[in-house]
Amino acid sequence: MKSKKVFIGVFVLLMIGVFCIGSVQAADPYNLGVALGFTGTGTLYSKDQMEGIQVAVDEINAKGGFLGKYPVKIFQQDTQTKPDVGVRTVKDLILRDKVRAVINDYSSAVAVAVKPICREYKVIHIAAISNSENITKINYSPYTFQVVPNSYMQAKAASYAVAQLAQKKGWKEYVTLASDYEWGRSTQEEVVTDLKKVAPFLKVKKELWPKLGETQFASFVTSIMSMKPDFVYACLASKDNVTFTEQAKPYGFFDKIPYVGSMQSVTELITEAKTMPRGLVAISRAPFFAHMDVPMMANFVKNYRAKYNGKYPSDWAVMGYDAVYALKQGVEKAGSIDNDKVKDAMKGLSVDLTRGKLQFRPIDNQLRCSSYVGIVRDDPKYPFPILAELIEIKAADSERPEAEIVAARQAEKK
Amino acid sequence: MDKKNSFLKRFRLPAGLFFVALILPLVVSEFWVHVFTEIIILGLFAAAFNLIFGYMGQLSFGQAAYYGIGAYTTGLLMVKLQWPIFVCLPVSMITAGLGALILGYFCVKLRGIYFAILTMAFGQFVFFIIFQWYSFTGGDNGLQGINPPMWLFKANAYYYFSLAVVTIGMVLLYFITESPFGYTLKAIRDNTERTEFIGINVQRYMLINFVISGMFCGLAGALWGPFNRSVAPDLCSWQNSGHPVFMAVMGGPHHFLGPMIGSVIFTFLNAFVTGFTEYWPLVSGLVMIIVVLLMPGGLFGIIKSKGYFETKAVVLEGNNPGDTGDKKNE
Amino acid sequence: MEFTFLFSQFMSGLTYGLMLFLVASGLSLIFGVMNILNFAHATFWLIGAYICFTFWSLMEAHQFALWVSIPLAALATAAFGWVCEVVLIKRIYKRELHEQLLITYAMALILGDLIKIIWGPTDRLIVRPPIIQQPLHLFGAPIDSYFIFVILIGFTVAIGLWWFLKYTKYGHIVKAAVFSREMVGALGIPIPKIYTWVFTLGIFIAGLAGGVQSAIGSVTLGMDTNIIIQAFCVVVIGGFGSLMGTLVGSLIVGEVFSFAILYWPDGAMVLIFVITAAILIVRPWGLFGTPLRA
Repeated sequence: MKSKKVFIGVFVLLMIGVFCIGSVQAADPYNLGVALGFTGTGTLYSKDQMEGIQVAVDEINAKGGFLGKYPVKIFQQDTQTKPDVGVRTVKDLILRDKVRAVINDYSSAVAVAVKPICREYKVIHIAAISNSENITKINYSPYTFQVVPNSYMQAKAASYAVAQLAQKKGWKEYVTLASDYEWGRSTQEEVVTDLKKVAPFLKVKKELWPKLGETQFASFVTSIMSMKPDFVYACLASKDNVTFTEQAKPYGFFDKIPYVGSMQSVTELITEAKTMPRGLVAISRAPFFAHMDVPMMANFVKNYRAKYNGKYPSDWAVMGYDAVYALKQGVEKAGSIDNDKVKDAMKGLSVDLTRGKLQFRPIDNQLRCSSYVGIVRDDPKYPFPILAELIEIKAADSERPEAEIVAARQAEKK
Repeated sequence: MDKKNSFLKRFRLPAGLFFVALILPLVVSEFWVHVFTEIIILGLFAAAFNLIFGYMGQLSFGQAAYYGIGAYTTGLLMVKLQWPIFVCLPVSMITAGLGALILGYFCVKLRGIYFAILTMAFGQFVFFIIFQWYSFTGGDNGLQGINPPMWLFKANAYYYFSLAVVTIGMVLLYFITESPFGYTLKAIRDNTERTEFIGINVQRYMLINFVISGMFCGLAGALWGPFNRSVAPDLCSWQNSGHPVFMAVMGGPHHFLGPMIGSVIFTFLNAFVTGFTEYWPLVSGLVMIIVVLLMPGGLFGIIKSKGYFETKAVVLEGNNPGDTGDKKNE
Repeated sequence: MEFTFLFSQFMSGLTYGLMLFLVASGLSLIFGVMNILNFAHATFWLIGAYICFTFWSLMEAHQFALWVSIPLAALATAAFGWVCEVVLIKRIYKRELHEQLLITYAMALILGDLIKIIWGPTDRLIVRPPIIQQPLHLFGAPIDSYFIFVILIGFTVAIGLWWFLKYTKYGHIVKAAVFSREMVGALGIPIPKIYTWVFTLGIFIAGLAGGVQSAIGSVTLGMDTNIIIQAFCVVVIGGFGSLMGTLVGSLIVGEVFSFAILYWPDGAMVLIFVITAAILIVRPWGLFGTPLRA
């Protein structure tokens, strides 16, 4: 019995010893952390983004890496789409794997929780899927950059498009259907506020708030149909949107009520090619087909398809690719991989990306990228429907005025 | 002379652990200091849970509710009112204790599986309240910006701070378990009917114990918020309530330090496994099954260290009531 | 509020309630007979949904694909459940409560990851056969025609179970075991075999429910953790081991949820837990359970 205790004690100390040794990273490679929600609701988008990142890293390493001498090494962790796990995994990446930059997360809540950690440890943080405005608007961190059109921009773009449609079709009343979580809430709020300004003749008849991950939408479907609004503005999380669509179709919902505002990224267009109702007015963040005229995009699509069996890249793959290239150009401008120099270089930097030459707005490190609104229609070029009659709403028309950001930051200081 | 020797002998293990805990930051990298901070905070959580489980014999599957209340109390006070952390910790114990008092009042009327399910239902209840009350708690977004004071900002500093708080908490818990109150709890666990017959108001004792457990769960939660710099409603989920159960079972619920050791193993395993695979649920599920099926009584049960931190009331060597040769409670 | 609108809400609640019934009836049965609270029950349900999708995708071209896949999925899931019982669940009948809960919880974790390993993270979507693509109109309200099928299955299972318990020899044995397994064992009836078959039956129903669910929306990871707690609430409200209780409990939860989202959307889930807690406090064995089971 006594020897058992000794054994346990030695074993524990040994375990500690083994873990102490840990992994000492060589200074030469540029360690890039990818902390995304590989389990949980965001699995699909996260995996897509990982693929886009991989293509970028392969291309860059083929030329020797950053500045031609720092090969990029990827360290991947699963945040499980949970803020506290996200914080822990990012700490892991920073302290154990010594990453210099982290691409994170699928969930806005996780990205917002990770922000202060990256700031504390002076690590570059790039948000490439989640797009809540809160990532950049308040609690400004000079290390955090956003390459996705944020929720404000998307909502404004959508309202711009909706206002045009409403005028054309004589719409008066609408119902909002938004998933009850950060993105859903901030998007819905923005849309309602915007529509009041650009289409004051529109009235909100009712606000519905299904919970995130709702599986039974029938009650919502029937209550909307009984209200007979002119259109529905939807801010549902992507999976919930699918569930809703499937459950609403048999009611003839989409024949009776225009369904506006759902986000249909290329992921949804591909996976739901057979079932998505055509004619939906949808919004998107980075559809590759909008920029095939940009050489970098055409090249990316080619390389991506070659690597992944002819699959087309989704918005998340595009933005993952863009995130890595934005970082690369930041390092090039700084002439070094030192994070403080890189972050200073990236502030206000104009970068060449698949979506064109875009600038990081200095006040909030938000990439001035476009939002895309279109109507779901089949296209002979692709085995899935795309957004036709595409309207590209540029950042200049959809970003939040700087004065408002300054005001918001002052308000939070109090 | 004898007394001094037996005292030292009894507390060999906790003293040894404490010593190791003290020198840890000097030998390991910062990453592991973070892991160890997590271990001791969760260990306190598991030990508080074990008051109800190992000592009182009931399974609560909702202690995360009080952990969460403690975490959110500290979070809200620090972010919205900028109260110092020293004040927030005891206040969190009070709010968590209050929550335990209100919800526990109903729980202690039940036993066995009904007790377990009611605690789970209440846990979900608290989770959804925090989740839905967006304007106050930030909803699913959680609360960010929970920053400890400058002198606790660095990993080592916060580690030692947590170590101090957790040690004080564990010492207090130990005194409670070794007090007449604690022995009454063990009596309740071993034979509720008989305990009632000797005039003990079982429900009242269970409620007091429930509140104490809630308070220390809240203390652990209060330490967690500033450590993580944020809190999220997930802290109250039933999955999170399952962690202290597993830790207590793994370490050994019938030994005072069992839950803490369980926390060491579980958290280590988590940090280690998630380093190279995304299938942590699969691994943790398998480990759980192995532990439950093959290691009843947990790690301590295997070591079978008789004499210290035994929770079973030992009257005479080998002549204990209930010693039917059935090793179930060992 | 006009009648057609209320009727629509009522029908949605009915459908949701019956789906919960399908998930919870197996859970209630397993607990009633073996005293095991199967945390992994909803995960078996989800496995049934995924298996149904796989069968369907093999027969996609045919109109009958969905209708054949559902019973096939139920059988496949039941077979898998049988394996789990023999390998694992069998070992925990005599164990303590906390051990049983931890084992079934561990099983839920393992099976959940298994689903991910086999089917991956992509959502799976079944295209509905034309017969259920158009809505029906009842009393002027549009009703998803598939829901009629769900309601039929729900009631068929309910009646089937009732008939089984009331009129067949095996059903009598099961009912007796709910009251007193010792007596049943004393009568020379092999309890372990009964347990195996009850568990398999419970999982069969869960697999069937999963198959039915697969055509309602997309099949995604994580649906199980969402629904297991609701299934627990149903079983608590109705009473463990009582078929009538589970049916009534699921209808209550379904309708409360359906109407709550109209008037208090934020509080719909909170309300369900309040009701569950109230039942546990006031009448722990549920509306239709037997007080003998403590």
